[in-house]
Amino acid sequence: MQETVQVEQQSLICTGCGCLCDDLDVTLAQGQLQEVANVCLWGLSRFFPTKRLHPKKERHRLLEPLSRLNGRLQEVPYTTALEQAAQILGQARRPLIYGLTNTGSWAQEAALQLARKIKARLEPADLAFKAPYYHSLRKHGLYWAPLEVIRDEADTVLFWGANPLHTCPRHLVRYSVFARGRYTERGVEDRQVAAVDLYQTEMAKFCQLLVQIEPGQELSLLQGIGAHLPGGSGVKPAVKGARKLAKFLSQAEFGVIFFGRGATYNQGLAVLDALGGLAARLGEKQTWALFPLSGDFNSQGLYHLLLNELGAPEAPDFGHEGGVLTSSTPVDFHEFDAILVLGADLFWFLPEDQALALQKRQVPVVSMSPFANRTTSCAQVVLPTALAGLEAAEVAYRMDGLPLVLKKLLPTALPADRDILLDLIQAM
Amino acid sequence: MNIKITGGRLYDPAQGLDGVQQDLFIKGDRIVSSLQKPDRVISAAGRVVVPGGIDLRGQVATYGLNFLRLWNGFPSLEDLGRLYAAAGYTHVHEPFLTLYTAGYVHRQLAAIPLVDTSASLVLNLRDLDNYLKSLDQLEEVAQTLKSLQEKTRSLDFRLLEPFVRYRQSFYSHRTLDTAKTLEALTRLAREFDLRFTLEASPEVLELPCPEPRAFHLAVLGRAVTDDRLLELALARLAEGVSADLGFESPIAATPLDGKPVKIDLGGYYPLDLNPAAGDLLPALRLALAHQGPGLAFSLGGPVRNPLKEFPPLFSWLCDRRARPLVDAQALPDREFSLMDWVWATRTLPAKILGLGDRGHLAPGARADVALFELPPEIPPASWAKYFGQCHTLLKAGETVIENYELVAPKTPKATYYRRRGAKEGPLLSEICQYRSIRPENLWVPEELGRAWVGLD
Ligand code: SF4
Repeated sequence: MQETVQVEQQSLICTGCGCLCDDLDVTLAQGQLQEVANVCLWGLSRFFPTKRLHPKKERHRLLEPLSRLNGRLQEVPYTTALEQAAQILGQARRPLIYGLTNTGSWAQEAALQLARKIKARLEPADLAFKAPYYHSLRKHGLYWAPLEVIRDEADTVLFWGANPLHTCPRHLVRYSVFARGRYTERGVEDRQVAAVDLYQTEMAKFCQLLVQIEPGQELSLLQGIGAHLPGGSGVKPAVKGARKLAKFLSQAEFGVIFFGRGATYNQGLAVLDALGGLAARLGEKQTWALFPLSGDFNSQGLYHLLLNELGAPEAPDFGHEGGVLTSSTPVDFHEFDAILVLGADLFWFLPEDQALALQKRQVPVVSMSPFANRTTSCAQVVLPTALAGLEAAEVAYRMDGLPLVLKKLLPTALPADRDILLDLIQAM
Repeated sequence: MNIKITGGRLYDPAQGLDGVQQDLFIKGDRIVSSLQKPDRVISAAGRVVVPGGIDLRGQVATYGLNFLRLWNGFPSLEDLGRLYAAAGYTHVHEPFLTLYTAGYVHRQLAAIPLVDTSASLVLNLRDLDNYLKSLDQLEEVAQTLKSLQEKTRSLDFRLLEPFVRYRQSFYSHRTLDTAKTLEALTRLAREFDLRFTLEASPEVLELPCPEPRAFHLAVLGRAVTDDRLLELALARLAEGVSADLGFESPIAATPLDGKPVKIDLGGYYPLDLNPAAGDLLPALRLALAHQGPGLAFSLGGPVRNPLKEFPPLFSWLCDRRARPLVDAQALPDREFSLMDWVWATRTLPAKILGLGDRGHLAPGARADVALFELPPEIPPASWAKYFGQCHTLLKAGETVIENYELVAPKTPKATYYRRRGAKEGPLLSEICQYRSIRPENLWVPEELGRAWVGLD
């Protein structure tokens, strides 16, 4: 007799990026994931142990806690790893909690609790990207619209230093360019799209206008655009494309500027200030929103939490006399003598000299991650975690700040991020 | 626990108790008529005893409001809960929840400690335009609204824009003016037992209101900018419409220097979180001119600090000498009594929200009781100082504030919503088809809040 295999279909929210696409259909059989429909290549790597955008390259899933002994990572029981982690963080003079933009909100809340308890600095992994944006809002004010409204209404879309195909691929089809919204029923035909980038990217295929600039030309381009908007000085712009962009922007009824990390690589503060100023100026006549494209799936949740609890979307530091200080300047690793990393791969992003400096000073790193990465390979203690939104329930905020509940679909023996953090708090 | 509150002066307009010195008995979470053996006696000598306050329009959890914290002008949710409790409040009603911001609003509300919460579902009439135009499928509309109300876990319906307009001229054939919209809403109210809160405007006041009890006019004070509009507002109230005042906040707003902070919720106009400082006097004038039971107290914008914002307004209502001098002569020569104050901040808000066991002190009511130190000899002009902060607050029989100190920071709280048991119809699918979020994720799940209470 043939054995019947129970096959189940479920709807799932993808935690591959800040789009949090909620239209994935998954097929489960015998407690295993068989198929995922509607997902992009980027998202696939959240569900199967493959590398981002390279589904044929495997990624190592961590299943056992590890501790470094005589220079080598060795499997240890969970309680041993937890004790060691608690000891490292508890005994540190200046501990740092780093990452969190790729963890769920419950875990973020627990991490904030832990930071308070051990008097640590809590550093969002993408602070260098987000801090200039919030700075710009403080100066220029805000027009904010959720992606629902942008999808329905935006007729003019500008991507600045952002290539969604590489950071949040389905953004284009679900929200910004090809999406058929309520009043943009013909999708891309109802919108005009432009991009500003250092390279000729794939965006050129559908953008009516792609302005390619040299590194360092951002501010001149923005000045040139300002000069050619109605009421501007009209002075000949120093950078090619400014006049066309000004024309493009002034035709909008409802426009949105999506900016990516590229906008903050060079003089980020000044560029975001100028972009905020541009959106505010355009907003005097039409509707214009300035919107950060968050690649990490719950970056928005973290800043939301920080604003809610501390009133500042910055890195809180509980290690100061007289209360918490918040900082918008990215962390100086020299100050810290122990680091807990979760929801980010610190050693992937860290410039080599800084990574070497940490290793030279033998700063112990505790890493929490579902997959092996550069940080886990450098860590003193590694605590494997369940995958949020597949093996553990969580809450995450889409890049427009709308929270969604992530379901637990698969059983696992691995603890969720939040559980580990709460265990750490207990163990201190 | 069984509690006896003794020696206080009770103010409860629902029972006609106007400063009557009388003991109050609490058994568990309810007020009872008598008690054999109290476990605890609370002395209320020299104090007034009133029901717990209910903020009918406490804008504390609107999508996007969090951005105001960028300018350092908005307390944390933790602080907001404490401030409300310290001011003697036990329930806060958020006015702006939409179909797709429901999860956000509820998560914010759940994070406000101590006070119970609820929210209004803001209807975007563009979702219903053709149905409202033809008027022959109102049953489908009513079912859909009820269904949306339950799925978004909201308590009532609110209209920011009682009309349908489009930014795109292409859709102009689908527009609906305010008169036609109100006609449709009136029929929905009459035939399907619905009630709507309309954010007041001169345009709404100008139109006849054939079904006054179907409507609540929010922030009415803002709309009565001249004598004629004041007359119209008083006429509506006389017809039986209820309203809330929508005072401008008397404390300085955030240091925003007039910078725009606008949130687009998908309506014709965005929601302005930093409106230009308005005039306090129209709402005050309206409050004093209306002699009937139709007006509740409220602030018009985000609530930053009830401990600082409410007392001066109470003072102005209760004492003519405390009022701002500008144009004070033009104000009606009336002062609120304590009974008026309790009515406007407790009894009427509870009625409007349909919280039958709140807002009064009769047996059977939930034991939400606030004690304010207010010796009888204190003139109304000085009441603000005493009204601002409650001496003792009990919520569902549990002591939350005692001698001005928070003693139970973990007091249970809940979010209230209306259960309708309505069927899902084709209109609901039509509304959802344009969304980028699947319906199952639009509807607010258990996990986004905590301790839900569904009212039938
Ligand atoms: S766009 Fe982002 S959320 Fe959507 S499927 Fe791809 S990785 Fe997942």
